[in-house]
Amino acid sequence: MAQIDWDQLAAQSRRHRVIKTAALIVFLTFVSVPVILPFFWVVVISFSARTGGVESAILWRACAVLVPAVLAYGVAHLTLPRIAHRLLAGAGILALTALGLWLSVGAELHLNNYRFLINANLIEDIRGAGTVGGQFPWVWTAFGNSLLVALCSTVMKVTVATLAGYYISRFQFRGRNGFLQGLLIIEVFHPWMLTIPIFLVIYWVGLLNTLAGPILVLTAIGLPFFIFIMKGFFDAVPWDIEMSAMADGATRRQAFYMVVLPQVRPGLIAVGVLGFITGWEEYVFVTALRTGNSYWVMSTYLYYVAEDVMGVDYGLVAAVSVFYMIPSLVLYLACQRYLTQMTLGGIKG
Amino acid sequence: MAGVELRNLRKDWDTATAVDDVSIKIENGEFLAILGPSGCGKSTTLFMLAGVYLPTSGDIMFDGARVNDVEARLRNVGIVFQSYALYPNMSVLQNILFPTRFQKTDDAQARAHEMAELVQITDLLGRRPSELSGGQQQRVALARALIKRPNLLLLDEPLSNLDATLRLSMRAEIRRITRELGVTTILVTHDQLEATTMADRVMCMNKGRIEQVGTAADLYLRPDTLFVAGFIGSPPINLIPPDRDVLSLPDNCHTLGLRPEALRVSEVGMPATVLSVEPMGREAMMTVDTPLGDLRFIEATAQPKYRPRDLLRLTFDNADTILFDAKGQRIPEAHAILKETAYA
Repeated sequence: MAQIDWDQLAAQSRRHRVIKTAALIVFLTFVSVPVILPFFWVVVISFSARTGGVESAILWRACAVLVPAVLAYGVAHLTLPRIAHRLLAGAGILALTALGLWLSVGAELHLNNYRFLINANLIEDIRGAGTVGGQFPWVWTAFGNSLLVALCSTVMKVTVATLAGYYISRFQFRGRNGFLQGLLIIEVFHPWMLTIPIFLVIYWVGLLNTLAGPILVLTAIGLPFFIFIMKGFFDAVPWDIEMSAMADGATRRQAFYMVVLPQVRPGLIAVGVLGFITGWEEYVFVTALRTGNSYWVMSTYLYYVAEDVMGVDYGLVAAVSVFYMIPSLVLYLACQRYLTQMTLGGIKG
Repeated sequence: MAGVELRNLRKDWDTATAVDDVSIKIENGEFLAILGPSGCGKSTTLFMLAGVYLPTSGDIMFDGARVNDVEARLRNVGIVFQSYALYPNMSVLQNILFPTRFQKTDDAQARAHEMAELVQITDLLGRRPSELSGGQQQRVALARALIKRPNLLLLDEPLSNLDATLRLSMRAEIRRITRELGVTTILVTHDQLEATTMADRVMCMNKGRIEQVGTAADLYLRPDTLFVAGFIGSPPINLIPPDRDVLSLPDNCHTLGLRPEALRVSEVGMPATVLSVEPMGREAMMTVDTPLGDLRFIEATAQPKYRPRDLLRLTFDNADTILFDAKGQRIPEAHAILKETAYA
């Protein structure tokens, strides 16, 4: 039997592992470029563009600093096995990047595009009071309305979806299966197909041109999916716990609040975040359910900044976009791990 | 503490009857085991006692008072579930304290510590249920069931999720605790050893009906029905259609029951050929071919003397035979006698 050279085999395995990791990092880097670049560009534009024109040169100069920095960190991560060393290298690269950015594009950066945050009469100042009938709002008004729409619809969605999901999960009643299938069938039709009937309903009810219109419509549209998700989470909570709580002296309602609800917290958070983000970014129904400029939300604000009033002040458009993105982004980052659990809701025990 | 009585209790589901005409009286402080295969209605009976299920008909009496319509939370019954059903969002202490949140208890903390001491988990009070082993979770569940000083303690397969060694010690442990508190206890199990070792009386159920109620010895020595005879005892009893050429029997005898351990080797006996030998540690189980048919036979030795195809002679005491009629009921005071022809 031939002698096996274990050392050589080990060296070969180590080499393969390094090559695989490097290949993976390079691949992921290339895949993420088209995703990240537009966002990065918007941020760069918002801080650098001056009245109208967009200097793509600034973007490329910034990239010329950032790309080597990312690659350098990749190399450092591969070659340094110890976490302390990696952190040190990361900090060094970060400092160098900041310095490089300051030297290459620092002189071009300014906050002027963000003046819309403090100037209530920005549009009127630029175009005169005649624009949009003089009704173009301060951005904080639109921000507040967006927040109101997103929060109200989220609270309603979470409340109704939780109670309905619990009921469907726990009780047998006539038409239960039909109801469940109905929830899925509704998901097949895109809600935009219902724009005209919804407009008419809202008109007859008398909620046209009020924020209550989009809030109710968004809640109704989102519910089927959210009920289904919450049912999955409740299905995963064992019966025993509830029976135990009731034998321990709790009423069914107390058992629900004290024992069952804490178990579906990841579901509540996931549904809440999704509900908030869909409410925050809603454009179609907030536009469809107003006939004039009765209310403004962030999406309509951005649209008018980009299309109607401003012509092509890309600096301002980019700044509003960045401002519009921040709440969703923060919320998403904070609750990311709950969102990934959502798909597991139905499966895990 | 309370005496419990079930009168003609019945529970129908949409498609089947889970519990059918169950009547039993349980004394205050007694430990009763409900034993039966899965689907025999024992858990349904337990949940009706707890108030989780409503009976279709019949009465549940606590100390002579009908409690059918009393809600589960007001019955003052403690339950330990097979899954323990601890509340994962609460610490061990909070779990034990949970029942006291619904009734006025001045000394809740002191009582919780007393219970923790009783089940020996005082050093675990700050932990979460997910950080406990199966045996520890079991103890927490027991403490939680006992803290409100229940009228009745219900145990639903409490040991089946534990490994064999732990099961042995928890069996004794649960018995000690219930004795110490003198609480009326009902244990539901499919494990005959669990039932016979822990309980004062065993109620054997099958297909929703009571087969027999009695002590472990009653069930083993004098099974009322064919089902009980077959269910109790390990290795299982020999149940054979009797051959009247070799046995003298009453006319109505339809099945003969003979425990494997009732057979013994003897100079004068029926001839038997060993078919297989299964060493089980302390003893060996053999299958032998006899004039009565193929029988299971226990040889009380760790080192089996016989091998397949060996010949030996077996006999048994007539009093050890159990006879059943065509309906599967035991024929009382009747035994089978081996005829001379069997020795040939």
